[in-house]
Amino acid sequence: MTPIEFPFISAKGVIGFFGLTHTGVGSLAIGIAFFVTVAQVMGYRTGDRRYDLMAKRAQLINVCIYNIGTILAVGLIFSLSGLFPQFWSQIFVHMFWPLIVEEWLFFLLATTITFHYFFWEHMWGHKKLHILLGSMLTPLFILQVYIINAMGSFMLTPGFREAEVSLRTGILGWDPQMFFNPSNLMLNLHRAFANVAYGSFIIAAICGGMLYLTGREKMRGYYEDGGRLAFGTGFLAFLSLPIIGYFYAHILRSHANEAYVNLMWGKGDIIAGGIDWWWTKHLIVAVMVGGTIRYFHATSKSDSALPVPSLFVYTVGTFYLMFYLAMGMIMTWAFFFWMLAAALAGSFLVGHLVRSGGGSPRGVYLLIGILSCATVILGGYAREAARPRFENRISAHDKVYVPEERAPYLMVDVDPSELPARPPVPAPEVEEGVTLIRRNCSGCHTLDRVKYYKLTDWDLIVEQMRGYGLKISNDEADLIADYLRSNKPY
Amino acid sequence: MDLPVIQTPIFPRWVWMEEITYSHIPIATMITAFMVLAPVFEYVGYRLKDERYDRLARGLIWFAMILFSPGAALGTGIPMWIMGAYPEFWSRWTNLFFWPLIGQFAFFLGEVIFLFFFYYLMWDFLRDRKRLHIFFGVVAAFFGLLVQFVWDAVGSYMLTPGVPLPGIETAVGWSAKAFFNPSFPYLFSHRFFGNISYVMMLVGGYFALKAARKNEESEKEYFSWAADFMFTIGVIAFFAMPVIGWGYARVIQINSPVAFTAIMGGHASPNFTIKMFMVLILAVLGVTYLFVRYESRVLHGGLTAGVLSVAVFFWIHPALDVTGGAAGWRILHTAVPVLFIGFCWFAARKWDHTAKVWRRIMFVAGLAAFVAFLIGGFVKSKARQPYTVYQEILKPESTAEEEDRFLLHERCLYCHPGARVFDGYRDRDWQSLVRAERDRPGVDLTDEEAKRIVKYLQEQYP
Repeated sequence: MTPIEFPFISAKGVIGFFGLTHTGVGSLAIGIAFFVTVAQVMGYRTGDRRYDLMAKRAQLINVCIYNIGTILAVGLIFSLSGLFPQFWSQIFVHMFWPLIVEEWLFFLLATTITFHYFFWEHMWGHKKLHILLGSMLTPLFILQVYIINAMGSFMLTPGFREAEVSLRTGILGWDPQMFFNPSNLMLNLHRAFANVAYGSFIIAAICGGMLYLTGREKMRGYYEDGGRLAFGTGFLAFLSLPIIGYFYAHILRSHANEAYVNLMWGKGDIIAGGIDWWWTKHLIVAVMVGGTIRYFHATSKSDSALPVPSLFVYTVGTFYLMFYLAMGMIMTWAFFFWMLAAALAGSFLVGHLVRSGGGSPRGVYLLIGILSCATVILGGYAREAARPRFENRISAHDKVYVPEERAPYLMVDVDPSELPARPPVPAPEVEEGVTLIRRNCSGCHTLDRVKYYKLTDWDLIVEQMRGYGLKISNDEADLIADYLRSNKPY
Repeated sequence: MDLPVIQTPIFPRWVWMEEITYSHIPIATMITAFMVLAPVFEYVGYRLKDERYDRLARGLIWFAMILFSPGAALGTGIPMWIMGAYPEFWSRWTNLFFWPLIGQFAFFLGEVIFLFFFYYLMWDFLRDRKRLHIFFGVVAAFFGLLVQFVWDAVGSYMLTPGVPLPGIETAVGWSAKAFFNPSFPYLFSHRFFGNISYVMMLVGGYFALKAARKNEESEKEYFSWAADFMFTIGVIAFFAMPVIGWGYARVIQINSPVAFTAIMGGHASPNFTIKMFMVLILAVLGVTYLFVRYESRVLHGGLTAGVLSVAVFFWIHPALDVTGGAAGWRILHTAVPVLFIGFCWFAARKWDHTAKVWRRIMFVAGLAAFVAFLIGGFVKSKARQPYTVYQEILKPESTAEEEDRFLLHERCLYCHPGARVFDGYRDRDWQSLVRAERDRPGVDLTDEEAKRIVKYLQEQYP
């Protein structure tokens, strides 16, 4: 297939534009939906109408941006069809049915969100039912994103061999091996919590912006309380991210090593315009951590909707930084100090903002909201750019079906006897010792067990094994012992 | 190119496709019609200083807002289904129309931004700057129409492709001949007036029912007024349809003759007949109501001229080529409209338009318009069978029988118009008839084609 050429910005640039803007809007919609429920419940429990009004306004934002997210997704679909035709048509071989389910969830969400907002007053007498309806949005969103995340995580940790197997045996359009790929769970968890943090921080940022604009005292209290609720919700979700991120990084290290190396050492497309965007994202997060801790410290004494003792904040903040440092795993000392400096800078900045605003949190809300948006965009960018050259990865994917054998066995109702013979795969050249070890040593124990013994008298151990009943000739025993002594891999 | 084709469960592939498209299209057309009408109404209200128009416009936009997200969500399902179920078509089609589709993104984005942010949300905020607000509404409607413009272009290509559908070996992206294909202007204008007409009749009928349910006098009055206003314009806009439809049919007849045959007497004609029956219902009920409701002689005269001009169109309708121009048909097509108009003039004097039954009649007419609209789209896609793009790419599910039928119609109907011509030779020997036809000059059937045609005729017209 010949892709269309896109002038000025490359094909990758187009996909990047649609993908990142769509993610930015879509994540926001998910986060806001969650916050709407929190604010509605808060309003219902406290009897304070202002929370309900805040929820309604937040939902109006959602109704308005929802369709922008939709059209960005449509733009993504169109441009993938034209710019990466081979990749895109093949994704449907694996993902058609999940995408159709996703599509229906999408419709259900659109209907629910519209109904929830436009019939707010009509359902005033059935508040609990209305809250329940709104609370359905979050699980539906998570379920929908679950499917998209499966596709996204597949692109980073594909496990091609398994996909090939399930294509031969499964139904066309549904590939469980691909769907439940190694990093699926971590991407999902990471995104679910990040979306809530991001959406809530943005609501808080809007409240902060309104605090700058509004002159009326009554509205000031409204935006301050609403913003505080949103900020607290966002912060709680934000705390879980380094923990999830830590395990996510582990999964990448074992299943997408090259991507992991690109991320951690700043190779390939991670560097754009001379800047390492992955670590930049982490510096921003450090600013957010330092800033939020300072903010809670400064305001925890006041009578707030969300009581946060400073001790709790400090403990959690420390854990946060610990995980953060651990997550790098290969972090340099230089970067460690940069992170500390960023956290301190964030702390000073927030302190200044609170003071200069006369105790008003408006500057903090605005700052953290903007920073969280930046981290979402940069995180998404890093994930996409970490793949060792996008085009190459796609052509690697293409090797699953070379044209002449694609036709027969991708059709579901094909007779297996009609499949063309697989071309003979030349056996990898391995030393005889390796073959012998693999064949003889793993009958009773794993090879890991063998690897566990270092600097051992291998002649003795091989003799012991023969004593346990291993049937090998003397020559073979020598070969095995020699190979094990050589410390070469097997 | 051999992309695997998704096998659909329960229903055949086309049922799933129609299900997703026909859940999206009514919503999308309704929104577009609302967007076109609302700024116009708002402007009228602004000039006449009549608050009712403003309320009506706002109500329509409110309804469009509710419909928008579900409609857009369903719309994204359409490419999903096509990619899985018609992958080769999708690859080649997006290759041909890549740039219009990217433009589509921009237009849709403009539509959303102007409709949601500048038009809907700013309604109260710009209360004192009405002209600016109306301008935003016009911009939103403009983008909405651009979206429809592109879809109609790439959709009409499937029925009357101006140029062959290129393969995927070369990147294309844009073709003016394919975009501005022969039936595109007709499809666009047909849909433009059709949408306005059906939406206004349907909403008018709905308002008529709503007026009956309201208890407050002022509300009752408003909804009765809105119902009459919407319904009347809907019926008047309808009169554009036969004129455009006539040209549309001609273009299909010239460019895709087999599809034309399929509609006029072929396999799509049962659907087309139902559609025309619905059109008959909406026209009779709608015109009768207007005669009864208004006393204006100008309106009565205009409606009379409209109905009689439709009769004239039947005289010269392309379909008559198929029916052989039988005199009986012409007499019928003349007598019925004339009698109907006479009846209307009579009813206008005798009947009372305030009777409650008219509300239901308006609603029924609106429903008939809606059904006619739905079936119309279905006829268009069914007429192409067994092709996804006429004579360019077969549907994966097309059967040998359908392909043979297409071959028969393509080769024989130039001289023997009308699918019914074969009925007259049921007891004859098809083999010798086809052999005789092959001896005529200009008939260049290959042996293999002749065999398929004979086999098909023997099976279908034994």
